Amino acid sequence: MKSRNFSSLPIIILLALVSLPLVTMYVFLFVDTISDAPAGSLIPTSFTLEHWRFLWEEPKVGETSIWPVTLNTFIFAATTSSIVMTVSLMAGYALSRLNMPFRRFMLAGLITLHAFPTITLIIAIFLILQLLGLYNTLLGVIIVKTALELPFGIWIMKGFYDTVPWEIEMAGVQDGASRFTVWWKLVLPQVQPGLVALGVFSFLSAWSEFILPQVLSPSGSGQVLSTYLNSLILDDTRPDFNMFKSVGLFYAMPVIFIYLTFQKKLMNIYGGGSKG
Amino acid sequence: MKKPSHLLGLGFMLPALIVVVLFFLLPVFMTAGIAFTNMSTDTGITGGAYELTPNTIHNLRTQGVDNNLLAQLETDVYRIDEPGLAALATDMGDKLAKELGDTHGGVTFQSRRELERAIKKLKNKPRSTRKLKKAAAFFKRSILNQRFETESEFVSATRNLGLDLAPEHQEVLSKASYTGWTWTTENFSLMTKLPSTLRIAGNTVIYVFFTLTFNVSFGLFLAITTFYLPGKAAATFRTIWFLPRILPPVIYVLMWKWLTWDTGFISTFFGQFGVPAKNWMLDTNFHAWVVIILINGFVGASMGMILFSSAIRAIPAPMLYASEVDGATRWQQVRYIILPQLRWPILFITSYQTLSLLTSFEYIFLATDGGPGKATEVWALSAFHQALANYGGNLQYGYGAALALVLVIIGIIASVGYLRVFNFKELVARPRIEQ
Amino acid sequence: MRILLDSFTKTFGDVTVIKDMNLDIKSGEMLALLGPSGCGKSTTLFAICGIHGMDGGRLLFGDKDVTSLPSQKRNVGVVFQNYALYPHMNVWENIAFPLKIQKRSKAVIEKEVQAMAELVQIEELLDRKPVQLSGGQQQRVALARALVRKPDILLLDEPLANLDAKLRLEMRSEIRRIQQQTGITAVLVTHDQVEAMSMCDRIAIMNGGKIVQLSAPEEMYRNPSSDFVAGFLGNPPIAFLEGVIKDSHCHLHGGETRVALNGHAQKVSDGQKIKLGIRPEFFRPEFDLKVKGKISFIEAHGRENLYDVVLDNGDILRSIQNHDAQYQLGQEVTWGICQDNILAFDGEGERL
Ligand SMILES: Nc1ncnc2c1ncn2[C@@H]1O[C@H](COP(=O)(O)OP(=O)(O)OP(=O)(O)O)[C@@H](O)[C@H]1O
Ligand SMILES: [Mg+2]
Repeated sequence: MKSRNFSSLPIIILLALVSLPLVTMYVFLFVDTISDAPAGSLIPTSFTLEHWRFLWEEPKVGETSIWPVTLNTFIFAATTSSIVMTVSLMAGYALSRLNMPFRRFMLAGLITLHAFPTITLIIAIFLILQLLGLYNTLLGVIIVKTALELPFGIWIMKGFYDTVPWEIEMAGVQDGASRFTVWWKLVLPQVQPGLVALGVFSFLSAWSEFILPQVLSPSGSGQVLSTYLNSLILDDTRPDFNMFKSVGLFYAMPVIFIYLTFQKKLMNIYGGGSKG
Repeated sequence: MKKPSHLLGLGFMLPALIVVVLFFLLPVFMTAGIAFTNMSTDTGITGGAYELTPNTIHNLRTQGVDNNLLAQLETDVYRIDEPGLAALATDMGDKLAKELGDTHGGVTFQSRRELERAIKKLKNKPRSTRKLKKAAAFFKRSILNQRFETESEFVSATRNLGLDLAPEHQEVLSKASYTGWTWTTENFSLMTKLPSTLRIAGNTVIYVFFTLTFNVSFGLFLAITTFYLPGKAAATFRTIWFLPRILPPVIYVLMWKWLTWDTGFISTFFGQFGVPAKNWMLDTNFHAWVVIILINGFVGASMGMILFSSAIRAIPAPMLYASEVDGATRWQQVRYIILPQLRWPILFITSYQTLSLLTSFEYIFLATDGGPGKATEVWALSAFHQALANYGGNLQYGYGAALALVLVIIGIIASVGYLRVFNFKELVARPRIEQ
Repeated sequence: MRILLDSFTKTFGDVTVIKDMNLDIKSGEMLALLGPSGCGKSTTLFAICGIHGMDGGRLLFGDKDVTSLPSQKRNVGVVFQNYALYPHMNVWENIAFPLKIQKRSKAVIEKEVQAMAELVQIEELLDRKPVQLSGGQQQRVALARALVRKPDILLLDEPLANLDAKLRLEMRSEIRRIQQQTGITAVLVTHDQVEAMSMCDRIAIMNGGKIVQLSAPEEMYRNPSSDFVAGFLGNPPIAFLEGVIKDSHCHLHGGETRVALNGHAQKVSDGQKIKLGIRPEFFRPEFDLKVKGKISFIEAHGRENLYDVVLDNGDILRSIQNHDAQYQLGQEVTWGICQDNILAFDGEGERL
């Protein structure tokens, strides 16, 4: 707000103070990955790339290289987000705009689905995957993550469709186009920004997901970065925070980059946020 | 009245319906079903077998089943039957086997000594004691620790012991020795009995209440303060406070571990002043709670910050200018102009986050994992531990599912309530093209 | 093409918005649907173009029953109030869209779009996106898009509501020109009486879901069938006086003035209440039936002035006069009513 009646300096100082813990964590998250500090001190004394060696060194016996794990994470996130986008794009339109039987019921059901905690799904899925022999593969994780993200995705897309003026569709129908053509040619271009935001959001959400891979694919060929990093932290008796942070920063870099690129678009969605 | 858009609509819904029904509703219903079983790692998830273990007998004894009967089940008996005789014949010659079969065929001896005494009386008795013992061993019959695939096999095995069980006793016995899962409502009666239930319920209340309070008030604080800042500064602070939400939880909690663990920031920092290093996250229950609430609160506050910010921005600027012209202080402006406009967003955030905090456990799992002890074990985390991450190794799917089911029921009731408050009618306005 | 609505009924949920409406629009005619907000104008329009289904009655285009035909097959062009241009397409693509749907050849599309652009005079705007156009230009594009596939019928839902006063004037004659040039049957929805009177061959006045009168503009102004129509048409609006019938004369409420009722109005029996409607141009110093009052308000219209005059009984009459007459606010005046042009209505508002 551009009113000049109040000065902003006291507020900046106050905000800076409460932000101090977070800022400290961010700064050291970065600094610690490229420097060493003597024991018992916080001030780095030397520059080093030693902590990043996991990127190029051959992994020791019993350890996994980070690259296949990264690829897994990418496949997981990309697949999840494409399915969520496609399915939400269609269902959101149907719920927002089309006459169909059980529409009210489906909308109410959609809202109620938000109330189902992750834990209720994964107990059964965990057992099913074990039966099917799909435990420790990416497939199960992708399926569950998609199912969990869908209600939110559909809801968000419905919201975007709701903002498209009815008159555009009416005009399309009058111009002789079928409802399908109207959707494809006239309405889709209007919700494209929303779709991009949803895609980015579900990509980030899957990229960051921890509980599902932890339960359904904790090790082996289906491992992703979150479980990889977590098992690193748990395994070590003497925590090597510099190394953890390097892996962590490696894992977080795409997130930060995507966030900075899509900041504005994402805010819309996080406003309706999906986690506590 | 069939309209083309009915078909199009259902067609458009189909992929969503398939995914949601197969991979969302079905698992949820299965979990609800599992809540009414005693399924665990022990019972397995497919069927089971019949096996009498010392443990089963112990359980039966505590249930007050006749002691004599149990003693009989527990001790070995020796029964002269065809398989035993055949084995004896191949090992020690036909003569002994034949004689034994003729004299004692079909007889059951209650102890090894009795059988040995009987064999010693035979003409073709084995020479050495060692051989005698070996011969007796062929007839040892017990159902302890033996697996039977079907109930009838198990029943005939108990008959073989020479036990004459009343049908109702037989039934109790079969049931107790079944290793697979069975339907039961025990999970729920157990839940009402166990003191730990009260504990986790209490922890959940503490967790939800304090985190929510922090989220809402701090979200408000951030929204209002950044509102008064020039664009650049506001954006910077918003980014700082938005990052916790967007960073992967594992990394975010890693930063907190670095901050609080004994080799971390706080310890090192205070170390300069001679304070001994310690784990500030897990050393006391109080510290654990503070860290948990801050971890979740820093994440949750950003949601409030975003929603409240846009609500504040929607306040017409002339209203604010007018209040300034009227001589309002900044505090009065916040109190009398801004806060009243935020009533609905606050109500929304409160109800939304109550529900999601109730069911969330990811950050707690990563940070304290319910510790120290069970000090920060909340309901959802407990369900998770019981069903999927039990250190004992015996995962209690049934009990975990029952705990989760409680959350589902609370969730459904709450969301039905929310639908009323947040005007469902508006959301389902009828489509305006009536084809 | 002739449009015939035969006992058309429309309900939303439990609310019946339009009941048993009959409307016959002649081929090549431009008809206005005029009425206050919420009276069901758009609803009628949407029923004609097929966006809404009909809950009762029939709709005929020419001799063809189109009641259950979907919009896509009705060949009706519509211009919406906010124009509904497709924001992601440029002007050319917007106009070409209906033809593309019909899978016409490239050359035909090119030719038709060009012809349309010329008709509505936007040739130089074809590359622009809708957001880069002014309101009037968007209006023209919407018109071109509605007309490009040679519809049998053109529907316009408050096409001028979003334009400023000057542009409105310009587009009024523009739309009328195009309609006459193409000879298309058109229905114009509006709540602006000037628009309806100046653009259309006939006006259907609607109130509460019913058509209360259907006539040519002049006829409707001069010969309204009810006090609602009389009050709705005319700017500045008509003034009403209340009175009671005694000896075939109307005694104005609370005063001595007697008005002789002409012709059919004399049927009314004594003691009944009636309403007299007097248009501002028929209350001036030169007319004979004098009434006394005080000027309570003066509104300068430039060429003319409008005066509100409060009579002794508190009723108000309006008068419009040349601006060079010098009257002051609060001045007592005695002006006359033109007896021949008094419109009389009975207690229910029906014309006598
Ligand atoms: N989809 C709908 N559901 C329920 N009622 C509706 C719907 N559409 C219109 N109505 C009601 O029908 C009546 C007529 O509406 P309509 O839009 O035809 O009015 P209108 O004459 O076009 O008014 P305006 O000049 O304000 O556009 C109104 O009372 C309106 O509330
Ligand atoms: Mg309308």
